[in-house]
Amino acid sequence: MATMNHVRLLCAVALFAGCVGSESTPGGKPGGTLAISIGGDPDVLIPSLVSTVQAAQMVDLVYDRLADIGDSLNVVGDAGFTPRLADSWTWSPDSLSIAFHINPRAKWHDGQPVRSSDVRFTLQSTRDSTLGTPVAALITNIDSVSTPDSATAVFWFHKRTPQQFYDATYQMPIMPEHIWKGIAPAAWRASEAAKHPIGSGQFRFVRWTPRTAVEVAADSANYRGAPKLARVVWSIAPDFPTALTRFLSGETDFFEVLRPENIPEVMKHPNLRVKTYRSLAYLFAQFNLRDPANHARPHPIFGNRELRRALTMATDRATIVRSVYDTLALPALGPTVRAYPTTDPNIRQIPFDLPRARLILDSLGWRVTRSDGTRSRNGRPLQFTLSVPSTSKVRIRLAVLIQEQLRQAGVKVDIEQLDFRVLVEKERKRAFDAAIGQWNTQPSPGSVRGSWGTPGSHASSGTNYGSYENPVFDAYVDSALASFDPGNARSYFTKAYETIVQDAPAIWLAEPRGIVGYNARVHLAPLRSDAWWAHIPDWWVAAGQNTP
Amino acid sequence: MLPYFARRLAQAAVIVAFVAAISFALIHLAPGDPFSAVMDNPNVSESVRQTLRAQYGLDKPLPEQFARYVGSLARGDLGWSFSHDRPVLDVLATALPNTLLLMGVALVGSFSLGILVALIQVARRGSATDHALSGVTLLLFSMPEFWFAILALLAFTYWLPIFPVGGSVDAVMHDYMGLGARIGDRLRHLTLPALTLTVLAAGGVARYQRAALLEVLPADYIRTARLKGLTEREILRRHALRNALLPTISLIGLSFPALLTGAFFIEKIFAWPGMGLAVVSAISSRDYPLVVGGVIIGSIMVTLGSLIADVLYAWADPRIRAH
Repeated sequence: MATMNHVRLLCAVALFAGCVGSESTPGGKPGGTLAISIGGDPDVLIPSLVSTVQAAQMVDLVYDRLADIGDSLNVVGDAGFTPRLADSWTWSPDSLSIAFHINPRAKWHDGQPVRSSDVRFTLQSTRDSTLGTPVAALITNIDSVSTPDSATAVFWFHKRTPQQFYDATYQMPIMPEHIWKGIAPAAWRASEAAKHPIGSGQFRFVRWTPRTAVEVAADSANYRGAPKLARVVWSIAPDFPTALTRFLSGETDFFEVLRPENIPEVMKHPNLRVKTYRSLAYLFAQFNLRDPANHARPHPIFGNRELRRALTMATDRATIVRSVYDTLALPALGPTVRAYPTTDPNIRQIPFDLPRARLILDSLGWRVTRSDGTRSRNGRPLQFTLSVPSTSKVRIRLAVLIQEQLRQAGVKVDIEQLDFRVLVEKERKRAFDAAIGQWNTQPSPGSVRGSWGTPGSHASSGTNYGSYENPVFDAYVDSALASFDPGNARSYFTKAYETIVQDAPAIWLAEPRGIVGYNARVHLAPLRSDAWWAHIPDWWVAAGQNTP
Repeated sequence: MLPYFARRLAQAAVIVAFVAAISFALIHLAPGDPFSAVMDNPNVSESVRQTLRAQYGLDKPLPEQFARYVGSLARGDLGWSFSHDRPVLDVLATALPNTLLLMGVALVGSFSLGILVALIQVARRGSATDHALSGVTLLLFSMPEFWFAILALLAFTYWLPIFPVGGSVDAVMHDYMGLGARIGDRLRHLTLPALTLTVLAAGGVARYQRAALLEVLPADYIRTARLKGLTEREILRRHALRNALLPTISLIGLSFPALLTGAFFIEKIFAWPGMGLAVVSAISSRDYPLVVGGVIIGSIMVTLGSLIADVLYAWADPRIRAH
């Protein structure tokens, strides 16, 4: 208990320090180097192919979009979006097209002007099936891009939707046609151009030394002005502990993925700070609703809705979250995050009620007949395997706490720690009982359709690994995504979330805050929920503390 | 001598081919594939994964993949690294010099240190120094490499921060240094991993050398040297050591595999960008060609090492040469 109090105090100190000492002061002097510690190489530096968060950071600083999403993460219409490559845009009266007017001063880092043909090329290449990009599935509403002149790119849409502006801008950083047009999309990953990206962002690419560093430098002639930092270097460590040690020892200035248990160690260093931000991630213990041995049959345990509800009811989520995260996470509301403007934080939940959970299990015929207190029915014990990735301490701790809480309800949980790829493979094949998963979502709440909706439940096509299917949920989500009025969208989403929460295809566990560590010499701008690095061009280093 | 080496080379080739086939089968049998991780994204559909698998020929049956791989191998092509998006040969060619540097320094260092310690022990045999050094060498010999390396990393980069935390150069500043500073930077990064590997390997060498020295000390030629009035130091250096070095030379060949696996651990822990780090990362990312390529190069190094030890042994011992 004393240890927990100690950690809690340190967390409070850390949060206080983070909140007080981290906000940017306008007018920081330009210059200085920011060294970021990361635990692995980027996968690829091509915007449409990026799948790791490290690569996303680099790509987002080197490439620009037509417009950038605002900090509120609004995805309906163009409210909150700020100009980037497009300095203005015009909606057609029927909203089936948007004309983006390219900033005449925008240039690629090799000096070529950015043209509307680059925008058209970006769309065409992203849709090329041989490229194999997940983005293609997200821009199916875009019919084409026409280029009436070199400074105007007109997006044509199949239908008017609330998120059409978001689809056209957020999903597609613009790529230079003159660099890529001679390379077949299937060969992009392996090309030399991929090793030396040329973009139009406020930082230009300098070098990528595998397993050592990636470096970008300020593009002093950029059409948006030079960033305040002169250089950003990602110091690549092979794993999390080495990356963390480099940050703690002062070799780097910034560490993006601090865990709650690291905070006391960080706070021992007077020049280090901690800052938290709302992330777009949520964790859950997902039940497989289909029998792993025969997908045509319901799961012998989790096929029953009332039993799933009883398991949720037997789980004290608030205590679990507090034990694992202290104050750095909230119990998850459902398959969503509080950062979405469309999420109602008062979604009706299944309350923690252990006696009632026991009664429900009794009524379903699962009775305590075994000496170890485990329930059984018709000779079958109420027992299942909960799979977790062996690399995630947080998920292992969550699993242990769930195991203990469900034991009190007479449910036996076997924890299976698996290599991350093995776990994903088992989930993909629906060959699991239950698994603790995490989705890191995008600003649009629409990804819930793939991860929890009927379209994503089939093994051949989707990431709804638990095979939860409810047409009512699907209908509410579709209505929400089709709604132009934010109030209506929120109302439909609330109904959708309440439907799925009551169906309990998962125990909704935690919505963790993102935690970063940084050196006091670096002055941060606000950290955006979907991309903490979005405002790096506004970060600065105190005068006299610059690395040459 | 020549037929002997030809026979040894043929044996080595068979071993390498066998090791390559086994490692190819094993890594492909592991669940998941290079593109499993992209599925951890609610927006990625199975069709994207299938497209990627087809691009790299992973949709073909395993025997066909193996036949293609053997065909490439026959042309000297180790395949394409999925995780580096480069030819495996390029990846390993970049990493191998780092591994050889680490192993080379550790090999020279561990044998020099081990022989020196053995000489001190034998010169003071039976004394407290001898017993203490025996204890230390036994401890080092039996200590798990990864544990000792982690301890060294924590001790000298964090608690007492006199060395950098891994890597082969300062990721931020190295490219902006002058030549002298660059060399210094590289040495600073090399010191701790090389020292760790050296100290670990020296324990075994010292114990082996001490036993060999004690074996030759009762010999007649040593007694003759004593009768000639040579000092104990000269006897050890000029007569005992030269004869006792023969078994130690054969130890070089034997220690090569251990040194290579040790280097793999050390590289992973100290983020030293050598072959070990590349192969270990490739295993977790299911980069099949890089894993098999690394294993092939590793087994070639081990068989070559043992061959070199045989040559050295023959060169050092006229009896073997004559035979």
